[in-house]
Amino acid sequence: MELLCCEVDPVRRAVRDRNLLQDDRVLQNLLTIEERYLPQCSYFKCVQKDIQPYMRRMVATWMLEVCEEQKCEEEVFPLAMNYLDRFLAGVPTPKSHLQLLGAVCMFLASKLKETSPLTAEKLCIYTDNSIKPQELLEWELVVLGKLKWNLAAVTPHDFIEHILRKLPQQREKLSLIRKHAQTFIALCATDFKFAMYPPSMIATGSVGAAICGLQQDEEVSSLTCDALTELLAKITNTDVDCLKACQEQIEAVLLNSLQQYRQDQRDGSKSEDELDQASTPTDVRDIDL
Amino acid sequence: MSEPAGDVRPNPCGSKACRRLFGPVDSEQLSRDCDALMAGCIQEARERWNFDFVTETPLEGDFVWERVRGLGLPKLYLPTGPWRGRDELGGGRRPGTSPALLQGTAEEDHVDLSLSCTLVPRSGEQAEGSPGGPGDSQGRKRRQTSMTDFYHSKRRLIFSKRKP
Repeated sequence: MELLCCEVDPVRRAVRDRNLLQDDRVLQNLLTIEERYLPQCSYFKCVQKDIQPYMRRMVATWMLEVCEEQKCEEEVFPLAMNYLDRFLAGVPTPKSHLQLLGAVCMFLASKLKETSPLTAEKLCIYTDNSIKPQELLEWELVVLGKLKWNLAAVTPHDFIEHILRKLPQQREKLSLIRKHAQTFIALCATDFKFAMYPPSMIATGSVGAAICGLQQDEEVSSLTCDALTELLAKITNTDVDCLKACQEQIEAVLLNSLQQYRQDQRDGSKSEDELDQASTPTDVRDIDL
Repeated sequence: MSEPAGDVRPNPCGSKACRRLFGPVDSEQLSRDCDALMAGCIQEARERWNFDFVTETPLEGDFVWERVRGLGLPKLYLPTGPWRGRDELGGGRRPGTSPALLQGTAEEDHVDLSLSCTLVPRSGEQAEGSPGGPGDSQGRKRRQTSMTDFYHSKRRLIFSKRKP
């Protein structure tokens, strides 16, 4: 008798739908509707009085940490940040509510994207029990109301497969490029500078930065970085100069975040507990620029 | 609560990510702010749809509301669904007080509560160009808004059946 023993991923995921990915109308529709889901203004200037940019970074870093630890799907974190930014663009909020809002946004994004979503109880534990599950559920309704129940926002992840399949890439490098691009997207979501950029531009810039970064060590693309940027710009109808600038910003954020991480490491294990390791997503720690 | 079998997510207890970011949280202020924002949402919806979602009553305005019976809604959409009791996803109970939008008249047949709304054109205006309620920036998109969140709705144009 032959027995087969294998580990099965307990999370059920849909396979990539070729009908959707190979139809250009899908990409065009995503490009048409993506702007609807951008926050309406740069809220630190015009709406918020109590909340400062560094607080958004703090709550974003914490949310990323929670999402990574809970092995959330990649889209959950950027989607949650989109909810948070859209809420803050409309509602003046005291900083003491910010962590609760972050938890609510992860709760909603996880429900939308995952087969078995994060529970309210777990999220409350992550706030060090500073909020109760019931408060989270009440605020869930408030956030839903303020977002007008428009939860299916377009995120940079929606574009990744569409972009990748149009690049002249060796198949075996694709998963590495995808992984790095996803990490760049998470990094962008932690930084407010990117909050008002169209998701397609962040996606294109992230793929560009991923390929150019990998290119230094090994041949992953037959194109030069400049030729690649031009091709990428065409795919998502982005202006080449804007895209270049965006890609440079993404690389700068990575560099910054790596330096921060190395600094933290040098500071030794003593302070490790207090420092936010997750300000650098785990996967980019291996990247060298 | 016990985790469902096969949960791959780690237990957060003791994790470094468990921390308060901005000091103490005032529960009472949270609850006050929640009620105020919720009231704002309900008021906005009330003006937009000329419908009181708390008492489930139609009001004067652009839309004519009428009861729809016998829709044959699948059981899933009837108010005996799981969200009335234990919330499987969130694990907790829906709070009883503030989310007025979710408070139906519990024992009534939901089908009886199903309403259809009809946009009535204002005099001297094209129905399609009719602006939204006060402060409503999305007025132009109105025709595309669906109300399936709470009510099965269908909409068609009626040409001024109502009083002038």
